Formats: sequence, C-alpha cells, structure tokens
Amino acid sequence: MNEKDFAELAAGHALGSLSPDDTEALEAARRQHPEWEHYLTADAATAAVLADAVVEVPPPPGVRAALLAQIAASEPSGEKSGPDQVPVEQTLPPRTDGRTSVPESKPANPKARRWRTRSWFALAASVALLVGVGWGAVFVSQQLNTPASVVALDQIAAASDARSATAILPDGGEATAHWSESVGKAVLVSDGLPTIADDKSFELWFVRGDEAIPAGTFSADDGSATALLTGAMQPGDVIAVTVEVAGGSPTGQPTSEPIVAIATA
Amino acid sequence: MLVCVVIDGVEVPEAGGPPIDHAGELLLRVAGGDQAAFAGLYDMLSPRAFGLILRVLVDRSQSEEVLQEVFLEVWQSAARFAPNKGQGRSWVLTIAHRRAVDRVRSAQASTDRDVRVGLRDVGVAFDGVAEEVELRIEGQRVSEALATLPAPQREAITLAYYGGYSQSEIAALVGAPLGTIKTRMRDGLSRLRVEMG
Repeated sequence: MNEKDFAELAAGHALGSLSPDDTEALEAARRQHPEWEHYLTADAATAAVLADAVVEVPPPPGVRAALLAQIAASEPSGEKSGPDQVPVEQTLPPRTDGRTSVPESKPANPKARRWRTRSWFALAASVALLVGVGWGAVFVSQQLNTPASVVALDQIAAASDARSATAILPDGGEATAHWSESVGKAVLVSDGLPTIADDKSFELWFVRGDEAIPAGTFSADDGSATALLTGAMQPGDVIAVTVEVAGGSPTGQPTSEPIVAIATA
Repeated sequence: MLVCVVIDGVEVPEAGGPPIDHAGELLLRVAGGDQAAFAGLYDMLSPRAFGLILRVLVDRSQSEEVLQEVFLEVWQSAARFAPNKGQGRSWVLTIAHRRAVDRVRSAQASTDRDVRVGLRDVGVAFDGVAEEVELRIEGQRVSEALATLPAPQREAITLAYYGGYSQSEIAALVGAPLGTIKTRMRDGLSRLRVEMG
C-alpha cells in the first residue's frame, strides 16, 4: 500500500465509513508503517471536531446511575499486568453488535457473570441511585433482645467512617445501606419492599467484580426490614437484593434481577 | 439524611481560557480507578456524546444503550488514552462515534437499510447540522468550515460522519465510484483541518 492509499483509508476510518476489508487492510498497513500513524491521529482529531456541530442532548439520569453502579462493581484496566486481573470485557475486541459480551473462556461461574451484565442494564431503567455521605437518622433500638442487625447498626453509627446510600425502589419504596469499613459490617434498612409469596425470601448479595456473593436472606414485615449482611464487606462492593426461594438460592447464585442495587464506593 | 452528588468538587469548567485538556486530566485519574473523576467526565461530556449518538442512530433507546457502552469502555480502557496523541475530549467522542456507527451497521444487517431513503438524507443531514450549529460558537466554526468545502466533499463527510453510512453505501447513494468517495473524504478532511486552523 502506498502512502496516498493509506491516507485515504485513514480519512475513511476517522469518519467511521470503512468496509471490514478496508479496516483490515488499514490495520495491516499500520503495523508495517508506524511512520504513517500521524495521518490517523490528525484525521481522528478533525473528525472529533465534527461532533461539535451536533446539539448537546442531556441523557436520562438512569444511564448515569447505572454506569456508576457498574463501575463500582468493576475495576478499570489501569496498570494491572497480570492476566487474571484484567477485567474480562477488557480482553475482548470491540463487538460490532455493541453489546457487552459474555465470555466463554472462563468456565467458573458463567451464571453469575451473565446475571451481572444483564442486571445492571435492566436496573438502569428502574432504580434511581443516590449516594450519600454522612449519617442518616437511624432508629437504634434500646431493647434487651436487640437483633443482631440493630446491634450492627449501632456499631456502624458510632464509627467515624459511617457511610450510607439510598436507592429508590421501582414501586416507590426505599432501601438504605449503612456501612463502615472499620466495623466491617453493612446493614440494609428497607421500607416499601414488594410483597412476595410465602415460599420466597429476599436474598442479599455483595456484588464484587463480576461475582455475586450471597450475604444472607431476610423477610419483610409489612414491607419493612432491617437486615445485616453476613460475610465481610469489601470497599467497592455493590449491595444488591434479589427475590429467591425461601432460604436463599440453592445454587448460591442469584436467579432473578435485583430489585435493589446500591454502590458503596 | 445528607444526600450529595458523587462528583463533589470534580466538576471542571469547560469553557474559555487556554486549551487545557480538562477531559484528558480526568481520564488520567479514571485510569487510576478514580470513580469521582469518572462521574465528572461523564457530566462533562455525556450531553455532547449523547447528541452525537442520537444524530447517527436516531432511535432513542438504542442511543441510551450505546451511551452506556461508550462510558463503560471509557472506564475500562482509560489507561490507553495517551495525552501526547490528542485531547481527552476527542478520545471520548471518537469512541462514541465508533460505537454509534457499529450499532448502525449491526442494525443494518437485519434491516438492510434502503439506500433510497438514505438519498433523502443527503440534504437533511447537512441542513439539520447547519441550523443546529448556531447554538454553539465551536459548532459555528465547524459549520463554516464545512460550508467552504466543495459540495461533493461536504456530502461525503456529512453522510459518513452524521449519517453513519459506509463508503460503498455513499458511492451508491451519490452515484460515484468508490475510489472517488475515498478521495473526497481524504481531501475534505484535509481541507477542514486547514479551515479550522
């Protein structure tokens, strides 16, 4: 390929109009002629300026909320070098159908991964997310027979690094996660939970990277519940709730879309 | 309870002054896993990116999906942004445009978009741009630069960038050989660059 042809392909590429064959030819020529890279850089910059001729349109807030929940559950590629640490999506070439793909190479927990990639998108439309810092008004029981969840809430409230975040449920209810890294506990206080059948439970999850880790089940009293998440929370976990069979999902993996997802980062 | 926005002090004014690459600075922080910087970058560039995606895709719900994919890609590959190779803003908008076009192509595979419909877009695409751009100074500069191009070059660039058409589609649309379209794009972009300084 001569330089003129390369320059033409670079222009077509910057405008997003090359055929798949031409794209391949361009990539091959790039490897042979790194000295021509400046055509691509210059054309890409010029093409990006064309974006300024388009009117700005504020996207719906749900997209932002979903993205923040998503990134809280995954790491950027960063400088990590070990192949095990690279997020799965990162290792995949851009897909022409534009969808996040389900990796086939790692057999472990395919279900969990599928759940996650689907669920955060689904959640975007229905759950508004507010991240709060500081400490909300929490009712702390003074009873003798204080449930573990309330004891934990008390401990969290007393910690200097107490944090909380609230998600609005699709039906208007509210779920607030309270946590403290120094205490190492998290409690979810919910109000207005949907009514579920007697043979179902609400199940809690820590969503960490692309894994969902079970964190106990709870039932609601007239739509209200205060539930302590079992297991240790880690910074950046997303706290999620799904509806499962009574006692929790037998597979240890969520089987339904989350009704609550709260980013803690 | 005290509710506050995640960005907290990351909001960076976009306009005026020397060309500081605010988006690029945020991208460097995003590459280090800074979620607040990511939120700031999203707030800064998402309206522009969404406008661009909508322009190419038209369909609103697909555009929302693509916008989300774009910023997820930004999060995942921010480490690949090289400040010496261009502005952060261009880097993000390039991803947005590529993803929008990818979606058009994949949608096309099933619907086989009729080129005659596209022919009408030749006029519409540019006129639409021309009337909208007055809203922004930056946009006006682009619009004026586009207007200085010979019509065939402007047409090829407009159909490709704003319409999401491939070179062979454009060749069929305007009835010119593929090689001619390629040359028009090349010459048109070079000229645009000169016009915009």
